[in-house]
Formats: sequence, structure tokens, C-alpha cells
Amino acid sequence: MRIARRSFPAPSTFGLMAIFRLMALLGSISVAASSTAVAHSASDAYLTLTAEKSSAAGRTIIHGQWDIALRDLDFALKLDEDGDGRLTWSEVRHHQSAIDQYAYRYLKIDAGEHNACSITPSRQMIDEHADGAYAALFFDAVCAHAPRKITLHYALFFAIDPSHRGIFVFKSDSNIATALLSPDNADINVGL
Amino acid sequence: MKTLRATLNATPRSLSAAKDLAEAYIDYSRQVGDAHYAGYAEAVIAPWVRAAAPPAAALVIQATILQYRHQFDAARGLLQKTLEIDPRNAQAWLTLATLDMVQGDYETAAKDCAQVVSNAGIDIGLSCVGSLRSYTGQARQSLTLLQQVETAAARAPAGYQAWVQGLLAESAERLGDWPLAETHYRAALRLQPQDNYLLVAYADFLLDRSRPEEVLPLLADHTQSDTAFLRLALAQSALHSEQVQRSTWIMAARFEALRLRGSEYFGREESRFALALQHDPHAALEMALRNWQVQRAPWDARVVLEAALAAKQPAAAAAVLEFLQKTKLEDPILAPLAKDLRAQLQEP
Repeated sequence: MRIARRSFPAPSTFGLMAIFRLMALLGSISVAASSTAVAHSASDAYLTLTAEKSSAAGRTIIHGQWDIALRDLDFALKLDEDGDGRLTWSEVRHHQSAIDQYAYRYLKIDAGEHNACSITPSRQMIDEHADGAYAALFFDAVCAHAPRKITLHYALFFAIDPSHRGIFVFKSDSNIATALLSPDNADINVGL
Repeated sequence: MKTLRATLNATPRSLSAAKDLAEAYIDYSRQVGDAHYAGYAEAVIAPWVRAAAPPAAALVIQATILQYRHQFDAARGLLQKTLEIDPRNAQAWLTLATLDMVQGDYETAAKDCAQVVSNAGIDIGLSCVGSLRSYTGQARQSLTLLQQVETAAARAPAGYQAWVQGLLAESAERLGDWPLAETHYRAALRLQPQDNYLLVAYADFLLDRSRPEEVLPLLADHTQSDTAFLRLALAQSALHSEQVQRSTWIMAARFEALRLRGSEYFGREESRFALALQHDPHAALEMALRNWQVQRAPWDARVVLEAALAAKQPAAAAAVLEFLQKTKLEDPILAPLAKDLRAQLQEP
């Protein structure tokens, strides 16, 4: 389901609201809160790769879709230009190339040492998930030759939020694999 | 937070700048019910936590983050490590007391609170002891102690006062004094209108008092928080609203997203969801029992009792019934549930 919405709240900019700082000692005190005040929504991205073997051309093309929460991108890139706490479609569109530049810096695919697959972004859309709007980044990764396996290197947001997780699904003619990408599990091998 | 971030950027090696920013993120994370900020706090404090000899202040912050994510064992380990380095660290003792209360180990919590009294001062110490007593059949005393803290806190920051008001509301609920509980919830929310914990606790209060129509406006602007979203869905269900189907679908998708990311575990909420919105008492009971292995606050007991009754499996609640008897927890909502289950257990 894809909905281009005109406007939606960007909760990460609620930071503009005044927050109460307790006395230094009370900084992290909360007896009652710790028992139930669990915020469930944490940072997730969804990465799906679909390999298409094309032996005729002697190379392998992998189609990718990478859904990244706009609120996470906003924290990293300040998409909310007017700072009104809401992200509009035009604010996101203005930053499309910045989003590409930022995200693809943290995703590498190779087919063995010194054999990187080149990633070419194709388009961006907005995807609606249960916990809010995501930027859906579509790309193709082209690997020379026809490797038997590829290695994925994933590092999105880990430096600013180590609890970020990439939910990874890989599909090829002969293989379906899933993995949970985390700072401790950032490099994944998958057979084609 | 912007200013604190700028300070840290200017002095990236300053532990005190990192500590201030991390604590602001954690406070905010709790306040709005949003785990992202706990992740940002973790990144800020990480260089010190990873050090060969991590400072106590960094360990306490990391423990608080883990506790917030219900990674209780790991949190406990870090707090013990902190106290080896700095045996008089008041924040570590208080966090440990909280942890022991959440896990139902009230004897150890009493020792932790004694340390809080001697290391953090009488007022914070009294709130520790006061909230502990509300779990051990001494809710009346608990209320008296917390009222003393309330008086002493008259000029404290709003966040602290709101926290004390929340504890008072909880103690009043233990006694079944609903008007008093409501007075304290409302006072707390006047001080901290956006606080996710307070909003959700008050919403639970309203649901129990058969006032679901008041939950909708209360939480309308808080759908981003999963705990708040669950209460909205429960209120819609109680009101037979057409929206409940959609909300149930979204809630299920959010739990699925949590399951996919693998780390965190929110059995209490999932059990309520399974019982009240998916009408699956067996799944609810299974989740409630698994949750009971991790957390033992009154609500954790309650989801087990409710699911055991609905699933017609009174024997499954035996451990919880024994716990209630042992701790003498007073609770006018738990008491009749426990009584029904005990009666069923005695039937031939």
C-alpha cells in the first residue's frame, strides 16, 4: 500500500516542546515509570533484496527495496525545514537526494573481496507502515560475473542509535533468507 | 536537548556533557513513550561504556536504558558493577530498588531502599520505601509516607512532583480509594500533561471504572506510543466502535514489527491484546505466564489471573496465587479474580 500523504506528524521534532529536567540526582529516577512505561516503537528499517540471475549478460542484478522511517531520517538529516513538528510531502521531496546520499553510504554489497557490486538508486516513494510513514528507496545492485554468494554490509543509524535494526529478506531462484541486522550482526553472507 | 547536544559537540570528551544529554534523551523517551530516544542516549554514552574501565555514571545510564527495554538481567549486572566501583551511588541503588520491585523481590528491594535513604537523602528514600509498602499489604502506610514526600516536594521540579503524584495514585488504587486515585492522577497530569506513563496509567484507571469514552480524547494525540495505542483500542472495543477492527489490525502489525526485531519483550501488553481484542484466552495465558517470569508488578499478576479465568485453566495461575498470598498484596481488582480461581481449584 503506497500513499503519498500531504502531511504527517514527525514525532522526533516534538523535542521542541519544553521538557522538564529534574534535579541532577533525579535525572533518571522513575520508580513507577520503569514498571510500565515502555515505549515500544523503536527504529526499524526493512531491506528486501531480490536476485535476478542473468547468465546471458554474464552478471547478476539484484533489485532492492529499502524502507526507512521518515522520523529516523528526520533525526539524522533534519527534514522538517520549517521546524513545525510536521513533515510535509514537499519537505521530503526536497530532501530526496540527501536521503539517497545518506542512506547508501551505509549499505554495501560485494561478491567477494575487491568485487563490489555497484548500487544505482532508481526511485523513492512513501510507504505507510503501522508505526508511521517510511521512505521506500528502490535500487539495483549489479555484480560482475555470476557470483555464488554475496556479502551485505549494513550500518544505517548504528552510530546514532545502536538499537536500530534492519529487517532483511533475501530472495533468489534457489534461496530465501532472512536476517536481523544489528551492530553485532552487520555483515551477512547469502547464497544466490 | 538542542543546547545539550551543542555542548557535547563542543566538548566531545566530556563525560558530564554526555551524561546530561543522555539523561535528557532518557527522560524524554519515558515521557513521550518513544524508545528511539533511549537508542540515541545509548549512542551518546557508548564511548564511556565501552572503555576499559567504564565510569560509574556511564554504567548507571546504560543500566537505565536496558531496564527501560526490559532487559532486566543485563541491567542488574551493570548496576552491581556500578556499586562495586562506587558503593554509595544513590542512582544505582534507586534503580536497583525499582528493578527488584518490578520483579517482585520485595525483601531485596527493602534493603535497596535502606541504601537509598542513606545515600540519596530522606525524601527520595521515603518515596522508595513508600512505593515498596504499596506492594506488601501496607498500602495505608504507603499513602501516609508518600503524603509526607508530597508536602516536602512542594517546591521541587514539576517532573519530580508528578512522579510522586503518580505513586500516590497507585497507592490509592491499592486501597480501592478511586476518588483519591483520580485526584492524584489529575494532579500529576496537570504537572506533566504529555507524560506517557501517567496518561496510560490514568487510561487504565478510566477503563476499569467503565469510562472508556474519556480515554479517547485523553490519548488522541498519543497514537505513536504503542502502550497508549493499546488503551485507545481497548476503549474503542468497550464502546463497540467501528474503528476497533482497524486498530486491532494496526496493533497486531506493531507487535509483529516488535517480534521481527527480536530483542524486546512486552508480554503484559500482548497478553491484554490477545485476551481483549483477539479473544484468544489461551494465547493470552501463555504470554502472561511467560511475562510473569520476567516481571511481577500488580498488572503482571492481573493478566495471568484474567487469562487463566478466561481460558478456564485455574491451575495455570497457581504460582501467581501463591505470590499474592506470600506478599499480601492488597488490590481490590486482583482480590476477586484470585478468589474465583481459588474456588475453581478447590472444586472436585
